[in-house]
Amino acid sequence: MKLESTVAASLDAIRAELARTKLSASTMNFIVWIDDDARREWVLDRTALLGEKHPSFTLVLDNTGACAGEATVTTSDRDVLSHFTVQGERVLIDVSGSPTETIIEYVSALCPNTVPTVLWWTGARVESRPTFDALLPFASRLVVDSSGGARDESTVRSLAAFARQHAEVTLRDLAWLRLRPWQDMIANFFDDPQLLSELFHIRKLHIESGSEAEALYLGGWLASRLGWKATGRDAFTDQAGNIVRFERVRRGDARRILSVCLDSDSSWYHGEVTDDPHVVSVWVQGEHARDARLYTLQAVDNASLLERAVLENDAEGLFETALRSVGTLLGG
Amino acid sequence: MSATITTRAGRDGAEVNPLRAGLASNRISDPANVVFFGASGDLMKRMLLPAMWNLRLEDILPADFGIVGFSRSEFSDEDFRADMRKAVDEFSRNGPAKDPLWSDFAKHISYVPGSFNDVAAFHKLREQLERNDRELGTGGNRLFYLSTPPSVFSQIVDMLEQSGLGPSANKTGWTRIIIEKPFGTDLDSARRLQADVSKVFPERQIYRIDHYLGKEPVQDIMALRFANVIFEPIWNRRYIDSVQITAAETVGVESRGGYYESSGALRDMIQNHVMNLLALVAMEPPVSSDADSIRDEKYKVLRAVRPIERARVLLDTARGQYDAGSIAGKPVPGYREEPNVRPDSNTETYAAVKLSIDNWRWADVPFYLRSGKRLARKNSEIAIRFRSIPHRLFGEAGDALDNNVLVMKIQPEEGVSLRFNAKVPGPKMHIRSVSMDFNYGTGFGVVSAPAYERLIGDAMRGDATLFTRWDAVEAAWETVMPVLDRWQNSTDESFPNYSAGSQGPPSSDRMLAADNREWRKI
Repeated sequence: MKLESTVAASLDAIRAELARTKLSASTMNFIVWIDDDARREWVLDRTALLGEKHPSFTLVLDNTGACAGEATVTTSDRDVLSHFTVQGERVLIDVSGSPTETIIEYVSALCPNTVPTVLWWTGARVESRPTFDALLPFASRLVVDSSGGARDESTVRSLAAFARQHAEVTLRDLAWLRLRPWQDMIANFFDDPQLLSELFHIRKLHIESGSEAEALYLGGWLASRLGWKATGRDAFTDQAGNIVRFERVRRGDARRILSVCLDSDSSWYHGEVTDDPHVVSVWVQGEHARDARLYTLQAVDNASLLERAVLENDAEGLFETALRSVGTLLGG
Repeated sequence: MSATITTRAGRDGAEVNPLRAGLASNRISDPANVVFFGASGDLMKRMLLPAMWNLRLEDILPADFGIVGFSRSEFSDEDFRADMRKAVDEFSRNGPAKDPLWSDFAKHISYVPGSFNDVAAFHKLREQLERNDRELGTGGNRLFYLSTPPSVFSQIVDMLEQSGLGPSANKTGWTRIIIEKPFGTDLDSARRLQADVSKVFPERQIYRIDHYLGKEPVQDIMALRFANVIFEPIWNRRYIDSVQITAAETVGVESRGGYYESSGALRDMIQNHVMNLLALVAMEPPVSSDADSIRDEKYKVLRAVRPIERARVLLDTARGQYDAGSIAGKPVPGYREEPNVRPDSNTETYAAVKLSIDNWRWADVPFYLRSGKRLARKNSEIAIRFRSIPHRLFGEAGDALDNNVLVMKIQPEEGVSLRFNAKVPGPKMHIRSVSMDFNYGTGFGVVSAPAYERLIGDAMRGDATLFTRWDAVEAAWETVMPVLDRWQNSTDESFPNYSAGSQGPPSSDRMLAADNREWRKI
């Protein structure tokens, strides 16, 4: 049975609630920082789902002011037969107006040091930066979402700079993880050995998306895989010295790509979201024309995206090199 | 192509798509046709076609694929597609099919009507597959799925060979075959079937499916044992007292009375599902995670299982048949009152066996296996009961100490539970048994893929890890044959001997009582 109680936002009150049960199995500490009203519910929903699947101690530091000086402790009851199953403990605590030292005290006192700590930073306010700096040493993994804000470009640029300075922190960006189905679709064009050489005659990359971050990452990924070098903000140079134009058009919902087109010397490789936002039509025009095929967009904005951010490793440094490539493109 | 391009050479020397590097994808790389024999049957509608559809939705199917249904019923392609859409609407875990995805998927589905002994129909099937290769780009790769009564397995394999659909005739791609359980009805028939199948298909191309092995918690058994250092040192006769493996169902035989009459619990569950669980629990650590390393170890331990001597069948086994009773407060009929069941049936709906494994790790550790229908609760689990502590420190309170038990829960709950003893808070030394449970949550918004999806996908990839190799099938039959022989040749006058909704027949309890042990409550 799930127990939920709301108490004053104080360490003693929270500890008293937690003492009613004890987490029986824990995979991690999951610290979540929220200071954006608009995304608060989205973040809380994903956080709860993650805690249900992966038993963990979740500490949500809510800087939006929505909790009005209170903390909510969610845990599970022991049953009368001494069987206790805890699917995670969660403390949601109001930290609006709290000094950084107090926030750090919560983290130090409540998070056990026997399991890894993941920090999901959803902060949008510049003034939260000192708290971020103070929380960072606790984290073995940092999860961010550089997409959907008003300043995607500068967010990604500062992320690239951060990654250079903090090689010790495993960094994951949800904006990057959302690209997985698109990367797979694009790679699939060129799985046919007869089309492989086309990859090296790409002259233009055109992306329409509701946020800048996804487009930048997709460009950065292609550049890093194909050996393109950034030439200004809107072009790359391929290994043979040819220019690859990089066009980005802002259209549609935030955090969503609407279409991608790669133009080679002889063909046009298209992927475009259909009327169903979860289905993409993919086709080729020109010399290597192919009929349209449909692909589904999996896990672009659900809890499993966050799960991947927490669990997955960066195989072959794919994200790292793409981020570096984007950093260079943006002059970071 | 530019001379400085960053392509890499693959194993065969061909250039590799550089965009694939590091891009984890579940997609099956080879284009392929999947042919379902018995395509008008219930399994196709409930499980197999919904599994293919879900693989498509998850983008796991290759872009170039074909699905061909084959059975006796007369359908046009359009009729068959319409029937399959209804099946998806009703049974897919992703809900009703939607356009345009369904229309796109349906283009890949075709149907060939015919009898399983009609070579002309198999020639038509070959023409369809060749057409798919040309029009859908399926590349000559073929996976045949035998979802038919076992009595026609050999016939289908023979027809495949006669019509040029066998692996030796396929010069452009691979040919694999999935065979549903039961693989034979006894040791002799299993050997005959193996002889027939192996005349056409090499062992590496035969995928004997046991959908139990596709379940997540079954795969977790290996993770628990071999991804942790703390269990393996005590995973032996020195620390383990006994092992109980339970596969209990609340359902009866329902519409399968005709099949079940010639099968029974020993053939239907113990010989395959439960023996596979035993193998996973008892095998030695494999040298690697590849299919043959794991299957080598499973075979070795099954070979070490001591067949029950004829004289001990009465002592080391128990059989039962359910009588009328109630499940969850609802009255249910007895087995002999079920459709297509003889009123004097001698078929067991409950089987329990005690097995011993003759090797250094497990000598003298009994493995108690049981499976039954219409039992008190649906519950599949493996319970490892550890030995008693060697010395009692706590006087009288210590008399009540329970043995430690590690339970691997398979269904309906999935997880691990460890029972240990702890002091009750207070001035006196009262010890009480507590259970620490670990459940992997299922409410994550993403439902675990059913076993059939996993297994069909694995067969298309050529990964046989979760399929049973012939040597293991044969070893499992060898183990149960003495029991089967005895049970078939003697009528159990006590039948029906347990009420629906109960824990099973008293004879099963007596079997453990003789060893001073008792079954865990179902």
